Amino acid sequence: MNPQIFHPFVLPFVIGMAFVLTYCVVGLLRVIGQLPKDDRKKFWRSLVTPKTAWANVRDLFGDCLFHVKIWKRNPILGYMHTAIAFGWFMIIVIGHVMLFTLKPLEGIEAQGVERMLPNFYYPIFYKFFATETPVFAILMDFFLLMIISGILIAVVKKIHSKIVGVKRVTKFGFADNMIRFALWTIFPFRLIAEKTNIMAFWWIYSIDLCVFMFMLPFTRYMHIPTEALFILLRHAGLKPREPRKGYALAQLYSCPSCGLCIDACPMSVNDSNSGNTSAYFMKKLRNGDKEEAQRIAETCMQCGKCVAVCPVSIESCDIKMSQREAVPYQIHSDHSYLDGYTCTDTSNVSDKKACVLYFAGCMTQLTPKIMRAMKQIMEAAGEKYEFLDKDGGICCGRPMLLSGKRAEAQAMMAKNTELIKASGATKLVLSCPICYKVFKEEYHLEGVEILHHTQYIDALLKQGKLKVGKNDVNYVYHDPCELGRAFGVYDEPREVLENVGHLRKAKSEKELSICCGGSLGSFNLTQKERDEITENSVADLMFNQPDEIVTACPLCLKTFARKSPVAVKDLAEVVAGQLQ
Amino acid sequence: MKENILIIGGGAAGMEAAAQLQQMGMNPIIVEKSEALGGHVAQWDRLFPAFHPAKDVVDAMLDRVKDVKTYLNTEVTDIQRTGGGFHAVLSNGETLDAKAVVLATGFDVFKAERKQEYGYGIYNNVMTSVELEKFFRTGKDERINNPKRIGFVHCVGARDVKVCNTYCSKVCCATALKQACEIKEVFPEAEVYTFYMDLRMFGPGYEDLYLKTQKDFDVKCVRGRVCEVSEDMDGKLVIKAEDTLFGKPLRMTLDVLVLMCSMEKDKSIDAIQQKLGVGNNSDGFMQNKDMYLGMNDTAQDGVFVAGACTAPKSLPDTIGEARSVAVQVYNYINKV
Repeated sequence: MNPQIFHPFVLPFVIGMAFVLTYCVVGLLRVIGQLPKDDRKKFWRSLVTPKTAWANVRDLFGDCLFHVKIWKRNPILGYMHTAIAFGWFMIIVIGHVMLFTLKPLEGIEAQGVERMLPNFYYPIFYKFFATETPVFAILMDFFLLMIISGILIAVVKKIHSKIVGVKRVTKFGFADNMIRFALWTIFPFRLIAEKTNIMAFWWIYSIDLCVFMFMLPFTRYMHIPTEALFILLRHAGLKPREPRKGYALAQLYSCPSCGLCIDACPMSVNDSNSGNTSAYFMKKLRNGDKEEAQRIAETCMQCGKCVAVCPVSIESCDIKMSQREAVPYQIHSDHSYLDGYTCTDTSNVSDKKACVLYFAGCMTQLTPKIMRAMKQIMEAAGEKYEFLDKDGGICCGRPMLLSGKRAEAQAMMAKNTELIKASGATKLVLSCPICYKVFKEEYHLEGVEILHHTQYIDALLKQGKLKVGKNDVNYVYHDPCELGRAFGVYDEPREVLENVGHLRKAKSEKELSICCGGSLGSFNLTQKERDEITENSVADLMFNQPDEIVTACPLCLKTFARKSPVAVKDLAEVVAGQLQ
Repeated sequence: MKENILIIGGGAAGMEAAAQLQQMGMNPIIVEKSEALGGHVAQWDRLFPAFHPAKDVVDAMLDRVKDVKTYLNTEVTDIQRTGGGFHAVLSNGETLDAKAVVLATGFDVFKAERKQEYGYGIYNNVMTSVELEKFFRTGKDERINNPKRIGFVHCVGARDVKVCNTYCSKVCCATALKQACEIKEVFPEAEVYTFYMDLRMFGPGYEDLYLKTQKDFDVKCVRGRVCEVSEDMDGKLVIKAEDTLFGKPLRMTLDVLVLMCSMEKDKSIDAIQQKLGVGNNSDGFMQNKDMYLGMNDTAQDGVFVAGACTAPKSLPDTIGEARSVAVQVYNYINKV
């Protein structure tokens, strides 16, 4: 053992490391402390529940080290991330193993840098790449090569992102750019230091690490430690409640600002709108720019595509919603009219449990063709049904929720719940995905099966209650955001369409489907901006020259009808037209 | 030799321009895609504001163009600029050369099916203003069966961002009130309602028509839009609207609902328009040079516009423009 305690060149590294560790521990305690009590309980329980514990282990490796989700979206970027993250991880692991096998250290013929270091610093400053043990030499060289190739891709991406398949990248400020440079140079500096064994390079290497670790908490690289915590919290099944506290805070720090959501966002079709995407929202909110964060939260259409493509699974839409709820503004709502509504008369239906309750919702009231088609379908199938809102019903509450007015929404939801329960029906069929989402997520209707009409029609066909003929029309199906991405209802409508005609593919389908542009979610998109989104979405649907566009949302239907070169129909209309 | 002037469109604008050009010593040639001259106005029974028979006006205009060379059931399929003018190919295979072209292609009626919430094509008793006019002309329409209550909806497909038409269609306010009076004449016992955003009674005698509608015909004008139409068990229409003057929503059962459909540019001319290099304005109508001194001119020398192809226009507006385009063409030919 070398009598020397340590050489001063290790100090920058040690200070940086101590700083970042302290920051992380304090941050961890802060996030957990900010969780509401019941959420915290859920969190602790999830850690010991075998199912979630296994998911935690799987995702900690799969997501943090390999980033499987980036591989799926873009293999080049997937490799880039894996090369740097996994490569670095392996160098640390193998380095430790190597030193362990070389014990006792006293036996090493210490020379150069090693002679100046006690045990503690060996794993960081030992000359890994100059080792003479063949197995380790090969492994270490391999992972070093991997890291450097990853950095090369990163450099190419920085210079010309289109080469790696990315149109728009996040624009960074000084700190983010500087730490990126620090990261890129860590390994080249180390290699030079080892090969030359000149003290100055070891100093540079140590300082580089120090810069990286000191800047880490204030930049996007904070996602490295935070993502692990976020994975655990996510598997506990939490929901963000306040935009900058607890679970949401963990998400803000987990966002790596990679910008994959920028190209994905339907608003980016107009370049000037790409600043309204989730990557920027997370940045602004994290940096405490509440005004900008609020503006972006209100511009967002809540289509959920950024969440679908996010490699970290950041729930940016939910955080935006909590941001909307956090801003109190006065509206004067008068809910006295709610008392005037009485229960749907189901007295003529003897077996109330067999009765299907149909709720058209405001949007479907404006598209009477869908209502008429649903009537025809239910009659053809011999179903007993009643309309919940034949003479005009109460709103499902979603528009109020989208405006961040939870209390107002709850007044309507309570009345609707009362009416539905009083009817005694066990099946509730909805034509509007906007209603469907709120009925599924916010209502407590135990004992009532909630179905969108696509699912209902699909079931009727499968049960043989409905007979349809097949025509020669080529359909393309548009996935409404609140049915597809929100609930994964992708197959039912497609299976129904294959029964009545031929299905053609859109360019972007299922979870990548592009919002129609009519979304209720956005408060401040102009009609022109919405039109651009609609045109882009229609062009995407027309990719394989279908004869008709079919969707399953009255709002998508109305929005597309304004811009589509071919007929736009609801799935129910198509089926009603093919009844036998 | 007289100079040939090609006039595309044989409605009010085309006929009047042709009549004037002929008097000025030129040789106008009308190419009309339908089987008769007269355009939309020939489908009309009476004209606002004074209930003047449309036939009188159309017959007078027809009489003035009886010597004008006219192609019916014919469209211009191709057109090219030649050294001294234009060379056009017609759908009947003939070709003709002209010194100047006048686009007088007019408008198309907004397809009411596009406002699904009003139920046209879904519920039997929803009809368009054009169909009601036909009823006045012929006295026949299955939907009109001694109605007790009739409603008119203004601005269908106009001033409506949701159908991409933000402009005012100009003639529907006065037409609605005219038709409201007329239906009241046929069915004096019926209640008649009109649902409007603003009543734009801008022309001479229009305001008198508005007062007459209320005083003499007891038509009830409700300021507010109809938002939804549905059908009850008996096939009657149930509408939901808002009376914005009372600040209250209202529901009403109607026997017939009439939709005052707006004007849109007739898009069947798009290909020829493109070949001539004439663009569209933000409302989708043809772009003229400017709305004051250049209202009949386009960005292209020798290509002129008249009538409702540049914006919704009333019949007097159109006739005025047809006459002014004749002067512009004359000046162009004689290099004034």
